[in-house]
Amino acid sequence: MLRAIDVPQTAAQALNSLARARDAAVLAGGTTVMPRVQAGDSGIGALVSLGRLKLDRIEAKGERITIGAATTLAAMAEHKALGFLGGAIESVGSPTLRNLATIGGNLFMKQPYGDLAVCLLALDAALTVVSKKGARKIPIAAFLAKGIGRDAIVTAIGFTRPAKGSWFYRKAMRRAQNSAAIVAIAAHLPQAKGRIDDARIALGGCGERPVRAAAAEQALQGARLDAASIAAAAALLAKDAEPFTDAYASAWYRARVLPVHFRRAVFGE
Amino acid sequence: MSSSVVTLNVNGESREFLCRPGTTLLDALRDSLSLTAAKKGCAQGSCGTCTVLVEGRAVFACLVPVETIGSRPVETLEGLAAGEALHPLQAAFIEGFATQCGFCTSGMILAAKALLRASPDPTRADVVRAISGNVCRCTGYEAIVDAILMAAARLRKTATRKRAAE
Repeated sequence: MLRAIDVPQTAAQALNSLARARDAAVLAGGTTVMPRVQAGDSGIGALVSLGRLKLDRIEAKGERITIGAATTLAAMAEHKALGFLGGAIESVGSPTLRNLATIGGNLFMKQPYGDLAVCLLALDAALTVVSKKGARKIPIAAFLAKGIGRDAIVTAIGFTRPAKGSWFYRKAMRRAQNSAAIVAIAAHLPQAKGRIDDARIALGGCGERPVRAAAAEQALQGARLDAASIAAAAALLAKDAEPFTDAYASAWYRARVLPVHFRRAVFGE
Repeated sequence: MSSSVVTLNVNGESREFLCRPGTTLLDALRDSLSLTAAKKGCAQGSCGTCTVLVEGRAVFACLVPVETIGSRPVETLEGLAAGEALHPLQAAFIEGFATQCGFCTSGMILAAKALLRASPDPTRADVVRAISGNVCRCTGYEAIVDAILMAAARLRKTATRKRAAE
């Protein structure tokens, strides 16, 4: 049962409010927190809303993009500079859900939800996190591995927009709309002189949190982007993936289809 | 756990009521304001029966604490008809037999209204996408999609006539 909800105007007030109660939780779009609260056994006693902290801005300076953590997925879908993420955004829930769900909240989802977090991992995004010690930037990989602790708030997410033709995304779903991922694949495969250089591949549905496919990335280093190199990389995805069984798919099925969807992601099949 | 007074702009009227911390917009509409068109299906943001508009955008009212709404206008099904004259979406749902048990109807109509505001000439695929967060437990989706397309066509005709008259 909730005792209190705070809708602060500044980050400092929000941090104070969070520190005041051990059972306080951050509320952004509410699409994950509110179902838990309503189920009645969440252990959440107080909510601290990010709604009035003005964290809903998208800035595009050249290729550098910074997105406020409380920006809704719907607002992201409407921003010109984020067109490359359109397919990923569209694959999350329904339009109604995307009017509430935020990019910051997406980072905290457990797989097979959190498709944008998979994309942000492949983009090697940096998160701005504020706590009473001040603001700091942490790489998304560190965030996914260790979290930020309960006294801190993610306020922004920054990344460099991938060059044209270097971004690939695919999410295998049980139906065309409004389904969690069977597997999700986001890949940044930049090329220099016809060779892949510094590939970043992130997988969803292959662990509790999004994971990088390091073995496949290494295999692609210096390779041409063609059927043979992609098939070789696809065969290595299993080395970094630990698919699980849930209501959407079995671990066996996820492992079986992962290389196929990787190939489809890259060649747009 | 002290209650507080909250003011909301609902269907163009300022409404004031007392509520406990974190009361959802859905519970406030139904229990405090007696606006019961929005239904409580899952209370988890999965079924869409509580869909209402906030600032013209469709949202799940069961996921929105009233304290976070502020002055943004809320629109429910009760605000659609002009007196006895039904909104074209309501009329099309009746004519097209698009309501069976009726539990999803309010949410469907508001999700459709949000769609038509953003794109007055939607394709069938656009309509399917727009109501993809709304479950019809009678599985009567085809008639619902048809009704929304019919209402969209009528609204466009009315808009064209209005423009011609001006």
